[in-house]
Amino acid sequence: MALKLPLVSAVKGAGYTLVLLLEALGMIGHWWRRRAAILTQMHVIGTQSVPITSFFMLLVGMVFALQTGIEFARFGQTNLVALVIVSAMVRELGPWMTAFVLIARVGSSMAAEIGTMKVSEEIDALEVMSVNPVSYVIVPRLAGYLIMGPALTILGTVVGIAGGALVARVQLGVTLDDFLRFAERGAEPLDIYWGLLKAFVFSMLAAAVACSNGMRATAGAVGVGRASRNTVVIALTLTVFFNYLLTSFYRMAKSFIAGLS
Amino acid sequence: MNVAQTTPSIRPVIEFTDVRKNLAGRQILDSLTFDVRQGETFVIIGYSGTGKSVTLRHLVGLMQPDAGSIRVDGEEITTMTPNELEVMRRKFGVLFQSGALIAWLNLFDNVELPLVEHSRVSKKRRAEIVREKLELVNLWNDREKFPSEISGGMRKRAGLARAIALDPRIVLYDEPTSGLDPVIANEIGKLINALRDRLKMTQVVVTHDMESAYDIADRIGMFYQGRMIQVGTPDEIRTSAIPEVQHFISGGKRGAVSKRSVTAILSGRPPGMQSLREEPVAAPQAPTPASPAIEGSNP
Repeated sequence: MALKLPLVSAVKGAGYTLVLLLEALGMIGHWWRRRAAILTQMHVIGTQSVPITSFFMLLVGMVFALQTGIEFARFGQTNLVALVIVSAMVRELGPWMTAFVLIARVGSSMAAEIGTMKVSEEIDALEVMSVNPVSYVIVPRLAGYLIMGPALTILGTVVGIAGGALVARVQLGVTLDDFLRFAERGAEPLDIYWGLLKAFVFSMLAAAVACSNGMRATAGAVGVGRASRNTVVIALTLTVFFNYLLTSFYRMAKSFIAGLS
Repeated sequence: MNVAQTTPSIRPVIEFTDVRKNLAGRQILDSLTFDVRQGETFVIIGYSGTGKSVTLRHLVGLMQPDAGSIRVDGEEITTMTPNELEVMRRKFGVLFQSGALIAWLNLFDNVELPLVEHSRVSKKRRAEIVREKLELVNLWNDREKFPSEISGGMRKRAGLARAIALDPRIVLYDEPTSGLDPVIANEIGKLINALRDRLKMTQVVVTHDMESAYDIADRIGMFYQGRMIQVGTPDEIRTSAIPEVQHFISGGKRGAVSKRSVTAILSGRPPGMQSLREEPVAAPQAPTPASPAIEGSNP
């Protein structure tokens, strides 16, 4: 029994999260009515995350360029830095590093906010006023996350590549022209779309986990803290896991398509 | 059981019949039966954490009973679909313990929220209604403030203004005076009376504040071990012969409760299903006062 219980509650939690996500996605018709709240959330989730995302991704790009550049320099191929940076940023680092930043900055606070509403009976109050809490509380947050997650990923990817270009120019001696010439070969349009799809999936995961943990919060301040912590742990885990799945699928699909032609 | 006589001409608005609810292995509601009549203020008293709030939550469909029947205006609510529940809930206004105001809306917007969501009235008319409700609870001048900027008493008053925004016929209060100083608690009591007298609302109040219970109640129901052990007028409750009722209303100075439930109360666990008069430690007129008995029964 003692062994079973955590598993049971994990399955229940996953089930609740999935149902909540589907219910909220099904309310896409409410987006227009909730537009003011969605804009507010876009500001909280998106605009306010611009500085931290930029700073974070800039340094990720810089350190990545530096590390790979040192290796490439041994073979006299520092120009290849551009290619590696762009392909890694577009396909991998851009989507999930941005997702990490957002989980830490937005997901945790979203869970805490909804959790506080739950334990202070605000969610119940909405329900007895016949205001659907999913429509009123969850939909704007999910929508804001789904819009701003990919948007910030674009920003983060661009800034990350810029950081790489900066290090390449200043520390590795790669001219901007060379960098751009090699950068073009780093990613094709399909890679970019795939990167954006990843960003969308990660945003959906994080928002669903945050909202679900908030809605299931119990027992006062302790429960709110737990909801926030669980959100970060679960969302990070799911992000790296789904990232692996998506990358594997993408490679398989690509080699399959290559085999056809 | 000393249930006050029901006059046939007064139709019950709310009827609980044999309602049972088990939560995490504890029988919170155990054959709970009572009714609330049109236009009265019905006060539910009882020890903290024993299920009074759970009773309210059943009444608005936030919780479903394991067994039994709950009727509102004669309609069974336990079998309602979500849509039917939504319609039924329009009859209710609920004041939650902490006010449950939405944190990111100011008081005006909080009171306006149910109007925005449900009524098709114009913005101008909405503003008039909000003004009327906020003036009723004396908060119109504070309408721009956010819930975090005001005191607990103001939050409750604002919560009340929101609860009655859609002019419900029934208003439920969960501990309306808890955490308030006596003067403000008294003002809330006056508001509750005003709603009954002026707007003819039916009201159900859950409280353990006996002073306010006597002030506002038409009838009081003593909730104990998952059921109503006595329902009566404030005077009938005051002079109750039931030891458990005396024990509660006197703050433990008179009367007694059974040994096992004393242990349960003192250890913070609500009493279970045991029968009421089991192992009485002290009869109300017994020479031994209740307090030594309580100490004696606590291991």
